[in-house]
Amino acid sequence: MTTDIAAETLKLPSLDYAALAPMLILFGVGCVGVLVEAIAPKKARFPVQLVLAVLGIAASLTAIVLAAGTEKVTAAGAVAVDGPGLFLQGSIAVLGLVALLLISERSLERGGAFVAQAAVTANSEADRDQATRGSGATEVYPLIIFSLGGMMLFAAANDLLTMFVALEVFSLPLYLLCAMARRRRLLSQEAALKYFLLGAFASAFFLFGIALVYGYAGRVDFAGIHAAVLDSPNDIALLYIGLAMVAIGLLFKAALAPFHVWTPDVYQGAPTPVTALMAACTKVAAFGGLLRVLYVAFERSQWDYRPVLGAIAVLTMLVGAVLAVTQTDIKRLLAYSSIANAGYVLVGVLAISKAGLASSLFYLVAYGFSVLAAFGIVTLVRDADGEATHLSRWAGLGRRSPLYATLFTFLLLAFAGIPLTSGFTAKFGVFAAAIEADQTWLVIAGVITSAIIAFPYLRVVVMMWLSEPGESTPAVSLPGALTAAAVTIGAAATLLLGIVPQPLLDMTENAAHFVR
Amino acid sequence: MNGLVTLAAAAGEVKGGEAATFYLLAPIAVICAIGMVWARNAVHSALFLVVTMLCLGVFYVLQAGPFIGMVQIIVYTGAIMMLFLFVLMLVGRDASDSLIETLRGQRMTAVLLGLGFAGLVATGLYRALGNLDSVGLTQANSVHGGNVPGIAALLFTKYVFAFEVTSALLITAAVGAMILAHIEKRPDQKIAQPERMRARFAPDNYPGPKPGPGVFANSTSVATPAVLPDGTQSERSMSKILPQRELTAAEAAPKGTEHQ
Amino acid sequence: MDDKLTQFGQDVWWLVLAKVLLVFVFLVLMTLFAIWYERRVVARMQVRPGPNRVGPAGLLQSLADGLKLAFKEDIMPKMADKAVFFIAPVISTTCAFTAFAVIPFGPTVSVFGEKTPIQLTDVPVAVLLVLACSSMGIYGIVLGGWASGSTYPLLGGLRSSAQMISYEVAMGLSIVAVFMTAGTMSTSQIVDAQKDTQTLTLGGFDLTVPGWYAFLLIPSFLIYAIAAVGETNRAPFDLPEAESELVGGFHTEYSSLKFALFFLAEYINMVTVSGLATTLFLGGWRAPWPISLWDGANQGWWPLLWFTIKVLLLLFVFVWLRGTLPRLRYDQFMRFGWKVLIPLSLLWILTLAGIRVVQGSDLTVQARLAVVGGPILVALAIWMFWPDKRKAIEDPGVHGVDAAGRIGGTEGFPVPPLNLEVPVSPRAQRVLGERETVSTSKES
Repeated sequence: MTTDIAAETLKLPSLDYAALAPMLILFGVGCVGVLVEAIAPKKARFPVQLVLAVLGIAASLTAIVLAAGTEKVTAAGAVAVDGPGLFLQGSIAVLGLVALLLISERSLERGGAFVAQAAVTANSEADRDQATRGSGATEVYPLIIFSLGGMMLFAAANDLLTMFVALEVFSLPLYLLCAMARRRRLLSQEAALKYFLLGAFASAFFLFGIALVYGYAGRVDFAGIHAAVLDSPNDIALLYIGLAMVAIGLLFKAALAPFHVWTPDVYQGAPTPVTALMAACTKVAAFGGLLRVLYVAFERSQWDYRPVLGAIAVLTMLVGAVLAVTQTDIKRLLAYSSIANAGYVLVGVLAISKAGLASSLFYLVAYGFSVLAAFGIVTLVRDADGEATHLSRWAGLGRRSPLYATLFTFLLLAFAGIPLTSGFTAKFGVFAAAIEADQTWLVIAGVITSAIIAFPYLRVVVMMWLSEPGESTPAVSLPGALTAAAVTIGAAATLLLGIVPQPLLDMTENAAHFVR
Repeated sequence: MNGLVTLAAAAGEVKGGEAATFYLLAPIAVICAIGMVWARNAVHSALFLVVTMLCLGVFYVLQAGPFIGMVQIIVYTGAIMMLFLFVLMLVGRDASDSLIETLRGQRMTAVLLGLGFAGLVATGLYRALGNLDSVGLTQANSVHGGNVPGIAALLFTKYVFAFEVTSALLITAAVGAMILAHIEKRPDQKIAQPERMRARFAPDNYPGPKPGPGVFANSTSVATPAVLPDGTQSERSMSKILPQRELTAAEAAPKGTEHQ
Repeated sequence: MDDKLTQFGQDVWWLVLAKVLLVFVFLVLMTLFAIWYERRVVARMQVRPGPNRVGPAGLLQSLADGLKLAFKEDIMPKMADKAVFFIAPVISTTCAFTAFAVIPFGPTVSVFGEKTPIQLTDVPVAVLLVLACSSMGIYGIVLGGWASGSTYPLLGGLRSSAQMISYEVAMGLSIVAVFMTAGTMSTSQIVDAQKDTQTLTLGGFDLTVPGWYAFLLIPSFLIYAIAAVGETNRAPFDLPEAESELVGGFHTEYSSLKFALFFLAEYINMVTVSGLATTLFLGGWRAPWPISLWDGANQGWWPLLWFTIKVLLLLFVFVWLRGTLPRLRYDQFMRFGWKVLIPLSLLWILTLAGIRVVQGSDLTVQARLAVVGGPILVALAIWMFWPDKRKAIEDPGVHGVDAAGRIGGTEGFPVPPLNLEVPVSPRAQRVLGERETVSTSKES
């Protein structure tokens, strides 16, 4: 026995389990979910997984609420538990729960929105066979839980390495989920492949960026980088190139132009509930990571990155707004809308102030609820071939089912930022923060693009209400309890945050302080 | 050689061997990286990448990171690239790139942008790192007694949370592989041994193996049917995709009988 | 820890050259010997003499075979990818030779006034170097299979890549336990760590055990031994070259010297895994117990002998396995690797880590027993009381079989019994058995 030296000198760093509990619970539940797949009989899996996932997210949410007010850095500096982190984790949990309701809906289509066996060759005999009888794969639940856990860690990661691991943990399940649509499987698989390849590319940029930032700062933790930005004797070029590459990785996940090209294809191809999950939760997580990197690690080089990111914000808003005009598919339209909205969030982020942070947090939550409800309604408009996503099919929908057309109109108005919706409050918040921080040019661009993007929204509204329903206008299916609940929650939140936004505004205001 | 160089590097000195190895392998690494992009054959491409990765592994060893160097070779070159090759070989050797551009001018633009980006990063890095001396290696190695214990210490103290979370990544990957590759058969699709036997010995089925083709018995072509003991030609001896043909007289004659 | 390694890398140039030569000659001689040895041992097991013509007891047989092989025609298949076809055996052989560079043959000796260990070199990650070489060596086989441009070699190459990667995982995991116990990955230090005898206290008895990890870490040793057979493509795991299915496997199209190189690589790999097993588990070059009582046993050049003997004994096991066991079916083999060996390895590592934690803690003996025994008891209890869900075996009889055991009437075919019961000998009833003509005309 030569040594026990190493074993004795290594001391596990202090882990604040209460503060880490939200993530640990989700990872634990994910593992249990995988075991359920292995052990439980086939018929029991769906209810067991659903209950397990809901309980897991609820428990995680409870842990977040209990940890509210904590401000500390734990796990040897790897995880920061602070106001924005907990707020983002909380919103990921809540939005994830609502998305889970959409994902679990099985009354619209036999077996749910997911294919039973994704490995079966698309359009083969076996595939047609399983399309009619197979009940959807229940592996999606552990995947979603892992993904949510990764997102939470991403929003709370306090060094670049942990952040990278979290990025992969939340991305990998999403790549898989994208490939599992029950209908239009080739489109779905193509979407997954595109997302995976481009995502891997972006991850590589992120990793390269980490290496260069490490070369500059000699550290990867945010506090260390913050200190090194002023003091490091190394060439500043390392910092610039490194920051640019780290930013590319983050901007990709947040779908900001020119790193947005995957978004429409993936949003269109993925099963709609998964699209909803990505549009709501991934956006929150990606901006959470971006906020922490920009506010905590690189705050002192804000004068360097602000113009570049400002240009990206303007470009994003423009691309999102202009290309949304030309879309003919509702899912692609919503995808471009989400790109434009990401641009608005970035305007708030670039205020680099407490108000900017608070308004960005508010925007993310408000947008998340609206987009969940919108995609929820998209799952309802369907015919024998599944969802009818082409815009022409939506013509005259207002006559067929006024309730859902009204709801969808309301949500579109919220995206457009009409008063009395959450969209207005959110946009007002980010623009106000930007003006306060002397970024008026961003606000001007934001207002102009808001006007542009209102056009495609209104076009859909006009189409739904003022056209006659044609032969091909599908009926809106009666939603099951889960989808109904999800749509109701989303729409209600959109309304409430438009009328009485103050509680959430106060919450974001209180939360808006990063620990370093 | 490897060992000598490692030790020299681990001790913090830069010897001639290190520089020589670097200047020997660096061009190989770069040429193979370019070859990987240029090779038409996918398997050759993968092989070039293997060589590049191998060189990188040796570079890590040179940079006094023997552990990461070996792991690079074992994991990346040994396992991951091998799986790549596995797939490429199954796809087939004739699968080479199509030269048709779906987006006009995309290839050229990609090349220009790629070169521009590479130039930008390379000049930036050269300016930043061109005359930088490495420091702190001896100290980093002495804290925990070497490279391997040092990495272990970092993994299990500073980055323990990230390390543990990686398990979630691995579980996801395993589940994903199952989802995308595994087809579960329904119970009624599974054929048990008794079923097979029943089918095999069913009255109208010939239970023995099929006779081989007449290669070498009559001719050297697999398109030649075998001749059964009663002199008839067996259709079962030939693959269904081959055209059947009459044997020429020379072919039909038993071999080695001409001289008699 | 690294200070012990400073004795390596200090040699003068001619000594390095001599050591390289020693390793090379050792491996080539071992290969020549092992081929003869294998043929003789298998022959003895099969009650026949084996090669006994060339040289004393046929010892020069493999040398003669090798010479003959070198002078054979070198065939380059038309469909071959020429460069890769050429380079594949070279990769195989190079990797096989390189791996042996870190295997320690003996202690420090004095050669012409220079003090040096009988080992080419050692690095802090020596065992990983061996693993890296073996993983690179797979390329030789896979590329050889692919570059031949024909089906059987391709299938053989694919099989071997899947097989060797799978078994390398199990092999690597089995070695982890050694790393954990020895606290190092350098081969010379692992040999050092097995120097002392261990005293185990079991229920009041003091047992003296040699410090060999083969005893301390029996599960690891067994897993390593199995994985090593898989890793070297030897029977019963020689699926890449299963002649009944794949002709010659990856080397079907190879001939002459190229084939000889593959042949050489296979035997060197056997020697390497045996040498590694000796180093990691069997005390390396140190003399086993009765000999080690003699003071001079572990000094000078003697250890070279002990090392060689240990390697030869392990090689004998390889031959023994080949002479005894039938080849596994491919799916069974992969299932065994992934579902049995790897989980077992992981479980064993977990257990070992648990034991080490308990050892390092300041618990009382009773508490330690409880901690160690508790999980074992629980696992046993679960195993004992787990409901047996296997259904009763159905009658596997074939429908429509008549009393004579035929299907389809008297003209039909006899059906073998499916219930695995040996039927009563037909001769007991049938006085005269007439062989019926089997129709071959059912060709449709």
